Amino acid sequence: MRLLIVEDDALAAQAMITGLSEHGHQCLTAGDGEAGLKAAGDGRFDVLIVDRMMPRMDGIRMVETLRRDGDHTPVLFLSALGEIGDRVDGLNAGGDDYLVKPYALAELLARVEALARRREMGAVQTVLKVGDLEMDLIAREVRRAGVDIDLQPREFKLLEFLMRHGGQSVTRTMLLEKVWDYHFDPQTNVIDVHISRLRSKIDKGFDKPMLQTVRGAGYRLEA
Amino acid sequence: MRLPRLFRTTPFRLTLLFVALFAAAASAFLAYIYVATAGEVISRADARVSRELRSLEAVHNAGGQMALNQAVIERSSVDHPLLYLLMKPDGGMISGSIGASPIREFNGEKTWASFSLTSAQPGGGVERQPARGVEERLPDGTLLFVGADLSESEFYVSKILRALWGAGALMVVLGLGGGLLISRDVSRTIASLTHVIDRARSGDLNARAAVRGAGDEYDELAAGLNDMLDRLERSVGSLRHAGDAIAHDLRSPLTRLRARLEAAMIEADAGRTDAKAALHTALEDADGVLRTFNAVLAIARLEAAGDAPSQSVFDPSELAADVAELYEPLCEDKGLEFQLQAARDLRLNGNREFVAQALANILDNAVKYTPAGGAIMVRVRRRSSGDVEISVTDTGPGIAPEDRARVLDRFVRLENSRNEPGAGLGLSLVSAVARAHRGALEIDEGPGAVDGGGPGLRVALVFPTGGQA
Repeated sequence: MRLLIVEDDALAAQAMITGLSEHGHQCLTAGDGEAGLKAAGDGRFDVLIVDRMMPRMDGIRMVETLRRDGDHTPVLFLSALGEIGDRVDGLNAGGDDYLVKPYALAELLARVEALARRREMGAVQTVLKVGDLEMDLIAREVRRAGVDIDLQPREFKLLEFLMRHGGQSVTRTMLLEKVWDYHFDPQTNVIDVHISRLRSKIDKGFDKPMLQTVRGAGYRLEA
Repeated sequence: MRLPRLFRTTPFRLTLLFVALFAAAASAFLAYIYVATAGEVISRADARVSRELRSLEAVHNAGGQMALNQAVIERSSVDHPLLYLLMKPDGGMISGSIGASPIREFNGEKTWASFSLTSAQPGGGVERQPARGVEERLPDGTLLFVGADLSESEFYVSKILRALWGAGALMVVLGLGGGLLISRDVSRTIASLTHVIDRARSGDLNARAAVRGAGDEYDELAAGLNDMLDRLERSVGSLRHAGDAIAHDLRSPLTRLRARLEAAMIEADAGRTDAKAALHTALEDADGVLRTFNAVLAIARLEAAGDAPSQSVFDPSELAADVAELYEPLCEDKGLEFQLQAARDLRLNGNREFVAQALANILDNAVKYTPAGGAIMVRVRRRSSGDVEISVTDTGPGIAPEDRARVLDRFVRLENSRNEPGAGLGLSLVSAVARAHRGALEIDEGPGAVDGGGPGLRVALVFPTGGQA
């Protein structure tokens, strides 16, 4: 993937490049909003990683300008500001996701890949498919290898998210944010229990377990 | 040139203005008194003179010039208060108490005039006395003058005038003096307030203005200033407290992290440990520090903010159902019976995310400490007072009454919680959330011992709704 990192802290940018390149992504950096805007206009990127507070032009203004110019490249905001209001500001400016500093590399990676995936999917889908697992979003039915699986509404939502990001790692924080819409850190890993329930429903009785735990990151739905 | 400070004060200027206004009013008053008094003196004299003139005319009409002359001589000879002069038609004196007519321009009929009488004094000086009189030509051509000496009356008028002037001067002096005194008093009071403000401005928030107890507007001002300083001191204090708390709270986990890294380095150097495993542990420690930091920061922000930010109206039962749904599987896994009792149609104004987090923290504790076979109940209801209550009741060991206040402090972990993960920040955040919504956090006993369990615990978040539905 081609990623543009717009970040004024060179050390932080370097750490991101190291981590993201390790996973096969190509990274370019820009030191402030103006440079970022220029770089974004020059090359096609899959995802832009934009710091909020930068000299000359801050991230919010940069993304606003970008969106006004009709550029819809997914944007992941990075910020030390983690209040709900700040998050809303970032999303209103045209950001697609918001990650509060400091963050774990696994979290950044998972979110960047999720954003890129969302773009690939493009048009609205009514049926999701991962391996022999099938989800009908309109009839709200799930089937694996032709066998109906009965899911609670929240389990359905959880599986939908995992299926939309099939083959990708998703973190617990992402699940809590996107499936439950909570932005705090529950002390016990409540998510794990929900995952294990879902796992018992979709993997039980099948040879190949699909819902896998990714050490140090979260979970992945494998085809 | 600058005036002395005292003269530049507002009270002094006001005093000056009032003295000037008062002096103007007093002058007008004095002028009126003078005019009225002096006019009265003259009109009385005129009346006396006219009466006398009429009676002399009567004498003349009855007895002719001879009788008149007789009357004038008689009246002039005794010490009579009036002045007389009878003249021939050409102005020559016939008889009278003055030598010549003081009327210079006689217009032929009846002429009034004010003039002064001069008389030589024994000491050699000349005394001038004000007088007023009238001259008339009688039918036979004789001229008759009757006048009145005004010196006696004029004396009183001038006395009154002098007294009035004196009073005016005294008033101005007293006004200025009083103004100075008042100004000094006011300046002193204001200066003491200014001094307090100066001290506060230079960072000394302990400075307080003296309240004199007079209950006047200066006391009100001083009390207001003190109240403002109290609030300022409190909020600065709580900010400083938050800063100190964060510094303190992070020092120990960071120290632990550092020690562990150092130990790992020594171990790895000696070849006893795999460096990668040590790094992995260190990373986990760092994540723990970050979690602690985020929790402490959230609490500190809530405490410093006063009221919770980003408030909206939401249904607390819906929120409780959401959070309960998050924790229910956990309860089931642990063999706990879970129940949600939520009243309908409740409305709460607050920060949804914070309230959800607070409830999650309470539930998290309940799940952690309630032994298998126990039960947890989440209840949302409206109290008879109208307040909305979100409570979590469990059948766990509970918290001893003497520890209930203490568990709200940061990093306090009770003996039986040592084996459970956590930093001792959960209830601190809940308490901060309650305060940020002007609500209360209640901790008391649960339903009593169940199956050999403890007395249980009931933790309730109570939100005032101000009587609204």
